[in-house]
Amino acid sequence: MIRCILCMSIACLVGSALRAQPRAPSREQKEFAQSCGFCHGEDATGARAPDLVRSPLVNRDAGGDLIGPVIRGGRPDKGMPAFSLPDDVIKDIVAYLHQRVDEAARSSHVGYDYPLARLLTGNADAGRAYFNGPGRCASCHSVTGDLAGLAKKYPPLALMEHLLAPPGGAVTLTVTTASGERISGKLAHLDDFTVALRDASGWYRSWPRGKVKVSVQDPTAFHRDMLGKYTDTEIHDLFAYLESLP
Amino acid sequence: MTDALLLRGLKLAPFFLACLAACAQGLDPAALRHAPTDTWPTYNGDYSGRRFSPLNLINSANVRWLTMAWAFQAKSQSIKSTPLEVNGILYFTVPENIWAVDARTGRQVWHFHYRADGGDRIGHRGVAMWGDWLYFETPDAHLLSLDAKDGRVRWNIVLADVKLGYFATMAPLVVGNRVIAGVSGDATDIPGFLVSVDPETGKEQWRWYTEPKPGEPGSETWPQNSDAITHGGGMTWMTGTYDPGLDLLYWGTGNPNPVLAGDARPGDNLYTCSIVALHPDTGKLAWYFQPSPHDTHDWDAVQTPVLFDADFKGQPRKLLAQASRNGYFFVLDRTNGRHLLTAPFIENNWASGIDPRGRPVGLKEKEPHADGRLVFPGSDGATNWMSPSFDPALGLFYVVARRVYSIFYYTATGKPEGWAGRDHDLWAESTIRAIDYQTGAIRWNHELGPGESIAGILSTAGNLLFTGDAQGNLLALDAVTGQTLWHVNAGGSMEMSPMTYLLDGRQYVVEGVDGVLYAWALPEK
Repeated sequence: MIRCILCMSIACLVGSALRAQPRAPSREQKEFAQSCGFCHGEDATGARAPDLVRSPLVNRDAGGDLIGPVIRGGRPDKGMPAFSLPDDVIKDIVAYLHQRVDEAARSSHVGYDYPLARLLTGNADAGRAYFNGPGRCASCHSVTGDLAGLAKKYPPLALMEHLLAPPGGAVTLTVTTASGERISGKLAHLDDFTVALRDASGWYRSWPRGKVKVSVQDPTAFHRDMLGKYTDTEIHDLFAYLESLP
Repeated sequence: MTDALLLRGLKLAPFFLACLAACAQGLDPAALRHAPTDTWPTYNGDYSGRRFSPLNLINSANVRWLTMAWAFQAKSQSIKSTPLEVNGILYFTVPENIWAVDARTGRQVWHFHYRADGGDRIGHRGVAMWGDWLYFETPDAHLLSLDAKDGRVRWNIVLADVKLGYFATMAPLVVGNRVIAGVSGDATDIPGFLVSVDPETGKEQWRWYTEPKPGEPGSETWPQNSDAITHGGGMTWMTGTYDPGLDLLYWGTGNPNPVLAGDARPGDNLYTCSIVALHPDTGKLAWYFQPSPHDTHDWDAVQTPVLFDADFKGQPRKLLAQASRNGYFFVLDRTNGRHLLTAPFIENNWASGIDPRGRPVGLKEKEPHADGRLVFPGSDGATNWMSPSFDPALGLFYVVARRVYSIFYYTATGKPEGWAGRDHDLWAESTIRAIDYQTGAIRWNHELGPGESIAGILSTAGNLLFTGDAQGNLLALDAVTGQTLWHVNAGGSMEMSPMTYLLDGRQYVVEGVDGVLYAWALPEK
C-alpha cells in the first residue's frame, strides 16, 4: 500500500516523460536469435528445443562456465549439434540468456512506464457518459477545472490508479470535547483509542477517543466506496475518457 | 486406543525409550502427541494448529492489569516467527538468525548467525525441536540442525538449489522421527515440494512434489505435451498440522506458476493451492481438496489447516478448517477430505459461486489482463500467513480478514515466465472476524481500520483473543464479543503470531513488534 502510493507520487513528478517507447532488439538478442532461435525460440522460451529461461543449467551458469561448453560441444544425445562460434558471439548469447532469466525473475515488477496502448481498451464516449451520469464524477470534478490536462500530468498507469484511489492526505477532523469546544484540523492519527489532528495554528493536539466526539470529513471516501461497485468496463471507459481530455 | 494406534505405539517404543534417556533437557517428540498445557513446543503450539491455549490465569476479568514482564531487543529486521518455549527457554528467529532467550527474564542465552549464499530474506517463521536439537531453514534453502544448548551446528543439508529461485522461511514440523520441511520461491517457475529428513542424520526419508508426474493422477489438470507441469510452482511455505490418531499430515500448498498466467496452464493445476493429506511414513498422498482451482491471483492455500473434533450438523466429526487467502472459509472431514462447508468470510468480486465440490468458481474476466482488472481481495489476500485460531469451547474460528482492493496487470507478451505481471494495491482495511464453523456465519466483527493487519491470533481459555491492529496497537479482545479489553501502543508493527506459556505459576503472552519481543504478564503479587 505504502509502496504503491510512493511509486505513484514519484511517477507523478516525472509525468508523461515516462511514456514508454518499444525497445529495438539488442546485439545480444540478435546473436541469440540468429544462432539459437530456430530451436530455442527467438526469446529463448523454447520451440523445438527446451525453454532456456527455465533451464537449470542456464540458471546455474556463471559467466558462461556452463553454457559455453554446451554451445561449443553440443548435446549429441539430444540432437543438438556443436556450434563453432567466435568467443564474443558466445559471450553475447550468454549475456542474453542471463538477461532473459533476470527479466523472468523480475516480471512481478509493473512500472509506471507501462504502455498506454495496453490500458486503452475502453470507449471514451461511454466514459464521458459515465463521468457525467451514473459515476457522479461531475458532482465533484470538472474536466476543464481540476482535471484539465490530466493525461499530461500522469503516466497512464498512475492515472488509472489515481482515478480508482486518489492519494489521501486531505482528511480533516472535527473534535468536540466534553465541554463543548470544537476543534477542526488535518488528521494526524485516528484509531480506536486516540484521535489527533493539527489545528488551524499548526499545533498537534490529541485526545482519548472515548472522551470526545469525532467527525471525519474524507473527500476520497466516495472513491473507496466505489471500489466495491465499479465494473472493469466502467473503469476502462472512464480511463479512455480521461486520457482523451486535452 | 485403537489396535492401529497400539501397533504404531509399539513400533515407536524403542525410539521413545532411547529419547527419554537422552532428552532430559530437550523435547521428547512423543510428548507432542498430546497437546501441551503450559509450554509452546511447536510453531503452532500443538499439532492441531488451533493456537488455543488452555491457560486462563490471564483472563477477561483481569486482563486490564496486564503489564510488561520483559522486552528483548533483537535489533533485527521484523520478527515474524512464533517462539518455541521448552524448559524455560524461548527459541525464535529472523532470517539467518536464531536467539535462545530465558523465558523468565528475556535475557539472551545464545545467538546464532548464519551467512546465506543468496536467497530471499523476506521473513522467517521459527524453528522446530526434537530431543536436544533444533531445526532451522535458511534463505539459501538449507536445513540446519543445531544443539539447543548453545546453537552449535550439528549438520547442514541443502533442501533445494537457491540458484533456481528456491529459498526457505518456514518452521519445520517434527512428527516422530521425522523433520518435515517445506520451501518457498515463486519468482521463477520451479516445482514445490515437501521433504522429510531423519532428525539425527539429516538423511532424506521422502520427498513429495506438489505436481504429479506426467501420467499420474492429477496430471490431467495440466496442459499435455508442455513443460507447464514440471514448472508449476506450489510452494510449501507454512507449517502444516498433524493428527496422531489418524496418522495423517495436513499441508497447504502455494500458488501455481507462472503466477498470473492462467492461459499458459489451462486446468485446475493440482496440487497447487490445495490442502493435502499425506502419510507421514511415506509422503504418499491420502487425499486433497483445492480451495483455489486454477489460481491466477497468488492466493496460496498455505493458511493453517486447523484440526478439531466437534459436532457438525448434529454428528460428531473429525474436522479440518481453513480460512483461505482467496477469502473463503472451508470445513472438511479430515478423515477423507470430503467437503462440508464453503462460505466467504469477507467480500470478494472474483467468484461467481461455489461448485458442487465446494470450490469457488472463478470469473474469467477477473483473471489478470493487460488492461488491468479490479479484484478484491488483491494478491496480499483476504488473509495470509498470520495465524487464525480456533476456540473449541466457543466453537469460533478467528481470522484476520482484510478488504484489499487491487488492480491486476498481466504483462507478458510472449510465453509467460515467472510472475508475468502483478497487482497494485489501491486500498485496504482490516477486521478480526469470529466465524461459526458449522455455518460460516460471522458471529462478531471487530474492525481494525485502514491498512493490512498482518498480526496473527492467539486465543485462550481465559476467554481472550490476542492480536494487533494496523496502527501499531497490541490488543486483547473478549473472545465471546470481540470487544477490546486491553491495548497498548508498542511502537511498531506486529507481524508475527503470538504465543503463551506458564512458568513458576505465572502466565506469559509473547508478542513481537518490529525487532522487539515483548512478554506480557499480570503484576507479580
